[in-house]
Amino acid sequence: MPVISELLTHRGGMPSSLELQQQLLTGSTLLSESEENLIEVVDVLHSYGEVLDAYSRNLIYQAEAQFLNPFPIFRFLDGDLSFGKIWRHLCHDRINFEYAEYCMKTMLWHGTGGLDAYLDSEAFMRDCSAIITRKTKGDPLLAILHPLFPNFLPEAIRAAATTNALGQFWRVMSDLFIDLAQAEAQGSITTIRTLVDFLRQGLVAAAGQPISYGVTVGGDRFWVLPPEAGLTFLADVAVPYVEAVFLRGTPFLGTVSFNAQAQQISPDQGKFSYGALYADPLPTMGAGIPPSLLMQDMYRHLPQRLHGLYLKRTRGEGDERVKICMSFQKAMFCVTNAAIEGTFPFDLASVDPSQQAANQAHAAAWADRLATARTDCLAVVA
Amino acid sequence: MLSTLLLIPFLGSFLLLLWPDKPPPGRMRTIVLLVLIAQLLWNLVVLKAFNPALPDLQLVETLPWLPGLGMEYRLGIDGLSLPLLLINSSLSLVTAVCTRDINERPRLYFALLLIISGAVNGAFMAGNLLLFFLFYELELIPLWLLISIWGGVDRAAAATKFLLFTAVSGMLILGAFLGLALLTGVADFSISPIDSDHLAMGSQLLLLGALLIGFGIKIPLFPFHSWLPDAHTQASSPVSVLLAGVLLKLGTYGLLRFCLGLFPQAWALVAPWLAIWAGVSVLYGSLAAIAQRDMKRMVAYSSVGHMGYILLAAAAATPVSIAGAVFQMVSHGLISALLFLLVGIVYRKTGTRDLEVLRGLLNPERGLPLTGSLMTLGVMASAGMPGMAGFISEFLVFRGSIERFPLATLLCMVGSGLTAVYFLLLVNRAFFGRLAITPPSLAEVDGRLDIRLAAVAPRETIPALALAITVIALGLLPAGLGRLSETTSIAMARLPELGALLSSGGVG
Repeated sequence: MPVISELLTHRGGMPSSLELQQQLLTGSTLLSESEENLIEVVDVLHSYGEVLDAYSRNLIYQAEAQFLNPFPIFRFLDGDLSFGKIWRHLCHDRINFEYAEYCMKTMLWHGTGGLDAYLDSEAFMRDCSAIITRKTKGDPLLAILHPLFPNFLPEAIRAAATTNALGQFWRVMSDLFIDLAQAEAQGSITTIRTLVDFLRQGLVAAAGQPISYGVTVGGDRFWVLPPEAGLTFLADVAVPYVEAVFLRGTPFLGTVSFNAQAQQISPDQGKFSYGALYADPLPTMGAGIPPSLLMQDMYRHLPQRLHGLYLKRTRGEGDERVKICMSFQKAMFCVTNAAIEGTFPFDLASVDPSQQAANQAHAAAWADRLATARTDCLAVVA
Repeated sequence: MLSTLLLIPFLGSFLLLLWPDKPPPGRMRTIVLLVLIAQLLWNLVVLKAFNPALPDLQLVETLPWLPGLGMEYRLGIDGLSLPLLLINSSLSLVTAVCTRDINERPRLYFALLLIISGAVNGAFMAGNLLLFFLFYELELIPLWLLISIWGGVDRAAAATKFLLFTAVSGMLILGAFLGLALLTGVADFSISPIDSDHLAMGSQLLLLGALLIGFGIKIPLFPFHSWLPDAHTQASSPVSVLLAGVLLKLGTYGLLRFCLGLFPQAWALVAPWLAIWAGVSVLYGSLAAIAQRDMKRMVAYSSVGHMGYILLAAAAATPVSIAGAVFQMVSHGLISALLFLLVGIVYRKTGTRDLEVLRGLLNPERGLPLTGSLMTLGVMASAGMPGMAGFISEFLVFRGSIERFPLATLLCMVGSGLTAVYFLLLVNRAFFGRLAITPPSLAEVDGRLDIRLAAVAPRETIPALALAITVIALGLLPAGLGRLSETTSIAMARLPELGALLSSGGVG
C-alpha cells in the first residue's frame, strides 16, 4: 500500500499578526508551554552558549591580534600555531568560525543602530586616520595600498570594530545561556515563562554595559570605539544584531535559490526576511548555507539529554541537524520574546491609555514582522 | 551442463511449492535466494567453460523428444545468449533480494519468479524453434500473475493488456515457425539460415514480417508498445526490474537469433525500412517520455526508445553494430533495472511517483540523498555518458550503423540527446529544490512543510548500489563482454552476405 503524503507532511500553525500582538501584550510567551519545548530550548541554548564562547574568544582575538593583517590565514587558530592545532584544523576537527564571520558581515552590511552610526561619524574617521598613519609607517604593503584605495583600510577597520563588538555581545550571551542551563539544572527554571523571564532579566542587566574597542599599533594604543562614543550593549550592538541576524539575514544560495532580477529579493534591505527566525530548517547541510555551520557546531556540543530526545524523533541521528535548527528557532523566539518584553516602553500593567497605546504600537511593530517568520515551530512538539 | 541452468530454477520452484506446512515468507525468500545464487554460480561455471573464439553454438546438449513433430530438446549457447543468461541470473537475484514484505501468497510469488527465470534461461539456450517457443510462452502466465496479483490499483487492466499483446506476439511467432516448416517442407525446426532456393522471397518476407511484429510487441517497438508503460506502472518494482531488465530482451534476442538468423536475405532487403522504424521508435519513445509525469512511465518509455537502438544495430548488421546490440541488451538490462529499483524506493518512501509533486529528494538529511545520487548516476548512464555502460553500447551501435544507415542513425542519436532531456527533467523536478511531496502551492506554505520521510536503510540500497557499480565497471572495462560476443557478432554480421552468396550459387 502506498503511503499517504499527508502522513509524512506536517505543517505547524501560523498565528496571525494580531494573535502574536495579543500574546505579547498579555505577557504570554510566544513558544507554547511544554516539557519537551523546555528541554529543547534550554539544551540547545546550552550548546549554543558553548559555541558562542568559542566564537566570542575568536572574534575578539581577530579584532585585536589580526588587526589590519592583509593575509590573516591563521585567524581561526587563536594564536596557537602548534602542529597539532593546525592538523586538527585541516581535518576539520574544529569550530566553524566562518559562521561568526558571516554574522559579522551581515551586521556590517545591514548597518543599523548606534554602532553603524558611529562607524560613519567624523570622530571615527579621525581615529581611523591616526591608526592608518601609524600602521602604514611600518607596513610597506599597506603604505602602497592605502593611497591607491583610500576607502579600503577604513572599511577594514569598520569590519574589525564590528568583529570586536559582536565578540563582546556574544561574550555576554554565552555566559547568559550557560547560566540559564545551570539554573534549569538547579530547578529554578521549570517553564517557558520562567525561561523567558530569566533571559529578559539577563538582557536588561547587560543593557547599559559599555562597548569599547582599542588596538595597539606599533606599540601605540589607539581607540577604534572609544568609551566617549557612549556605545552600549543593548541599543548599539544587541538590537542591530537581532535586526541583521535574526530578522533580515541574507539570501544565501542553498537548495532554494533566489533570483534578484525577478524581484524575488526586495531591493529594500529593510524588507529582507532571510534571518534565523525565517530560515527553513530543511535545507540545512545543503549547498553551503552558512547557518548550517552553526548547526554543525551545536551538534558537537549537544547535551546528552537533548541528543536522547532527538534519537526518538523522525530519523534519529540521521537528521539531527535539522532538529537542532528547529529547536534553535524555538530558542531564538524565546530570546526575541525576552528582548521585546525588555524593550516595552512602559509597564504592561499600566492603565494609562497613552502608555497602553505606546506598548501596543511596540508589540504591533514586532508582531507584523514575526507574522511571516517560522512561527509554525511555536506550537509544535515535533 | 546447460540443463543444470533449467534444473536449478525449476526444481527450486517445485521445492517451494511442495514445501510442507506453511513456511514464513522470510524463509521462502531465503530458499529462493539460495536457488538463485546457485543459478548465478552455475552460470559462472558455464562462462568458464565457454570458448569465446568459436562462433557456433557451444556446450550443446541434445535429446530426441518428439521427433515426429520436429521437437528436439537441444540446448546450446553462443556469444549472443551467454551475456543474456548472465543478465538473467543476476537480475533474477536482484529481483528476489528487492522483494520484501510479500505477505500475500509468498509461496506462489517466489515460485513464479523461479519459473520465469528458468523459462528465460531455456529461451536463451534453446537450439530448436519449438523449444524456444515453449520457453517463450512459459514465462507469459507467471508474469501475468505477478502483475495481476501483486500489482497496483489498476493491475487487472494492465495485466490483461499485457496478456493480450504478448499472446498475439506468441501466436505470430508460432505461426511463423510453423509456416516455415510448412513452406520449406522441413519440419526439424532447427535454427539455420533459409535461402531463396528453399523459400521464395515473398514467403520469406511474410514469415519475417510475422516474426518482426511478434518480437516487436515483446521488445516493444512503436507502435506495439502500449502494453509496456501500463504493465510497468502497475507491476511492483521487483517485477518491473525483471520485465525491463530481462523479459524485453527475449524480443531483441528473437530479433537477432530468428529474424536475422533465419531470414538473412529478406532481412537485408527490409533493413533500410527497419532502420527507419528504429529511428521512429527511438524518437517516439523519447518524446513520449518527455511528456510523462509518472517517473515509472517515463522510465518505461525510455525503454521503448532504447530498444530501438537494438533494431537499428540489427538492421545494419555489421560486426560492430551487432556487438553494440549485445552490449545494449546488457547495459539496458542493468540501467533500466537500476532506474526501476530507485523509482521503487522513491514510491515506497513517498507514496507517489508524480513529478509534479515530488521535489527536493536530494535533501541530505530528510530526503533520499543516496537514492537521488544513484538516480543521477543511472540517468547519466542511460543518456550515454562516457565511463558508463550506456556509452559503450550506444557508441558501438552508432559507430556500426552510421555508414550503412546515416539518416536513421542520426535520428537515433537525436533520441539519445532526448534521453538527457527527459531524464534531466526527472532529476531536476524530483530531486532538486526544496523538499516536498505534495502538489506545489504558495511558496510560503511550501517552505513551512516539515517532511518526515523514513530513511532508506542501507540494505534497501545495496542491490541498486551493486547495479550502479556494474554499470560503471562495464563502462570502464568493456573488453570482457566485447570479447565474449565478438566472434558471434562477426558471424551474425556475415549472415546477410552469406545468404546473398548462397542464392547466387557463389558458395558450394
